[in-house]
This record gives sequence, structure tokens and C-alpha cells, in this order.
Amino acid sequence: MPAFPYLFANTFFPINLTTIAMMVFAGLVVLIALRIAVRKLDMHPRGFQNVMEWAVEFTATMAKDTMPNEQVVQWIMPLAFTMLIFLFVSNWLGLIATVAIHLHHPVPALGITAEKLSESKGEVMLFDSPTANMSMTLGLAVMVWIIAHARGLRHPKIWLKHFVSPSPLAILEEITNPLTHGMRLYGNIFAGEALIGIFLGIPYLFGWVPTGLPLLLVWLFYSGFVSTIQAYVFSILMCLYIGNKSFEGQTH
Amino acid sequence: MFETGTFVVSIVTFLILFWLIQRFGFKPLANIMEQRRLHVEKQISDAEQQRAEAEKLLAEQRALLEQARQDARNLLDAARARADEQARSIIAEAQAESQRLLDEARQLIERERTEALNAALQQVAEITVELTSKLLRNHVSETVHKEMLQEAEKQLGELVC
Repeated sequence: MPAFPYLFANTFFPINLTTIAMMVFAGLVVLIALRIAVRKLDMHPRGFQNVMEWAVEFTATMAKDTMPNEQVVQWIMPLAFTMLIFLFVSNWLGLIATVAIHLHHPVPALGITAEKLSESKGEVMLFDSPTANMSMTLGLAVMVWIIAHARGLRHPKIWLKHFVSPSPLAILEEITNPLTHGMRLYGNIFAGEALIGIFLGIPYLFGWVPTGLPLLLVWLFYSGFVSTIQAYVFSILMCLYIGNKSFEGQTH
Repeated sequence: MFETGTFVVSIVTFLILFWLIQRFGFKPLANIMEQRRLHVEKQISDAEQQRAEAEKLLAEQRALLEQARQDARNLLDAARARADEQARSIIAEAQAESQRLLDEARQLIERERTEALNAALQQVAEITVELTSKLLRNHVSETVHKEMLQEAEKQLGELVC
């Protein structure tokens, strides 16, 4: 379990610097990719613009499948698209590379104490998936939850009523939905990275035969699959939750 | 190991990134896609309009063609009727002409017959008179002869008529 650099490490408000930096990095990657795609916008798309338009179409299909009406679909499209490709890039970052440095001296200003260093054998993580952090994924899930309820509150009467009908157990869902929404993403990505770390740590047979390599390759392949799927799952659940609370145009 | 700071700051970071991405990446892309969609829709509606127009023109042409055909048929019918009429009148004329010729010929024949009969009667009368006078030269005076002639003429006239 590697250590992370923290801001305000010893207060009630510790900020994981690696996670935030990786979010910014993933966001920049997405932004740069999109800028390349829209660099020469054309009515007849070619090359990278085509790929990105395919992603937009994909998002639109996803939103249309989960949203009650066209108006909400148009409203959610930018967020759904951003979420989808941002999470896709974020999930893949930790697969492409994780960078950790070995520190021999504790840095108390960044929350790297001697105790934590000894726990992590001196490893301090500087580059991994931002989604491999539980607080970050829960943050996104709670943000989606807030957006959903903000939309629901546009129709306060229906919003109040939908908690008790058809079943009062729906209140329970208001807690479990964001929790599972965030934890699912975190669990999948963190597990992928953790196992990669373990496979990388398998000692070589006779000092030169990489016994862990086949396992590593299989797991990398599978993790890539999981990373892609989880980006999609998180986005479609976001559409579903927000669509469920968008009462305008719903039949019931 | 839930971290409040990471939790809050990641939400804020994501919102900032979201704004940047949707403003500088998503919006131009969505705009061009919307533009293309409108363009395609316009093309389709244009094509549909043109097709409707073409259909209308075709129907018009068909109606015109039908009209022309009808006209031709009418003309043909009229011409045929006229020809029939003409033929009938020619035949009628011919029949009348032939009837006239026939009548004329009949009248001629009648006249000739009458003439021939008259001539024959004349001759018969003369011959009779001659023969009678030869026979009765000595027995009949001039006055008796005249009476007998008148009698014979009268009877012959009755015979002829």
C-alpha cells in the first residue's frame, strides 16, 4: 500500500495531491484530444473528428435510452459526454503507467510521515488513476446525486411524493445508490491497479525468468476491458439516476 | 480512509474540468454535428419537395397526354362520320342518277314504241285503203269511199287507244 502526498494532512480536510493532479492531467488529455478533433472542423468528418463524433453519438444513444424525454437528453449530453471520456481516460491512466518514487526521508509538510513510509516500504505514488481513490469516486457519485435531486426539486410536489410511492424503501435507495455508484468504480479500478502491482512484484525465477509476465499480460488485458466498461457503467448510471429524478415529461 | 478534502476538491476540480471540456471541446463538436443534422434534414426535405413537384408534373403530363389522345380520337371519329356521310350521299346521288337515266330510257322507249306503232298503223291504213280501193274500185263511189275511210279510221283509233 503506497503512501500519497497530502495537503492539510493532519487536519480534518486532507487533500490527496496525486489524485487531484491526476484528475487535472486526465482532464487536460481529454481537452487536448478534443481540441485536436475540432481543430479542423468539417461538415465531412475525417480522422479523429470522426472518432469523437462517434463518441458523441454513442453518448446520445446512451442518454436517449435512459432519459424520459428529448429535452433532458439535450441537457445531460455535455455532462454525459465529458463524464464518459474523462472516466475512460482516467481509468486507463493507471493501466498505462503507475509511477512511484522511493523516499528515504519523511516529508511531514506533505503528510508523508515516517510511519507511513515504513508501511509503504518508502514508496510514494505520484502517477496512477484518479479513479483508484475512494474519496474521488464518491465525490463524483455524490455530485451526480446532488444534480439529480436539484433537477427533481424543479417539481417539489412530485419530488416529495416519489420518496414514499410506490414504496418508502425508496429512501434507502437515496443512500445506497450514490454509495454503490462511487464504490463500484473505485473498487474495479483500485483492484486492477493493486493486482498489477502484485504481479509486477513477483520475483524472477533463477533471477531472469519473468514468471509473472503471462499473468500480468492477461490481467492488463482484462483491466483494460474493465476500465472501459466501468467508464460506461458510471456514465449510464448517472444518466439513469438523473433521468429518474427528471419528472417533466414522465408518464407517471 | 475517507478523506473529506479529496472528496470536496475532486468535485470542484471535476466541475472546472467539465466546464472547460464542454466549452472548448464538446460545444464546437456538437455544433458541427447539429449543423450537419440540419443540413441533412434540409437536403431530405428538399429532395422530398422536388419529388412531389416531379410527381405533380408527371401527373400533369399524363393528363395532357390523355387529353391529346381523347382529342385525336374525337377528330378521328368526326372524320369517319364525315366520310360515312359523304359515302352515303355519293351512293344516294348515284342511285338517283341511275334512276333518272332509267326513267329517261323508259320514256324514250315508250315514245319510240308509240311512234313505231303510229307509223305501222299509218302503213296498215294506207295498205288497207289501197287494197280496199283496188278491190272496190268499181263498186264504190267517191262519197261511199270517204265514209268507209272515216269508219276505218275511227275503229283503228279505238284499237290504238
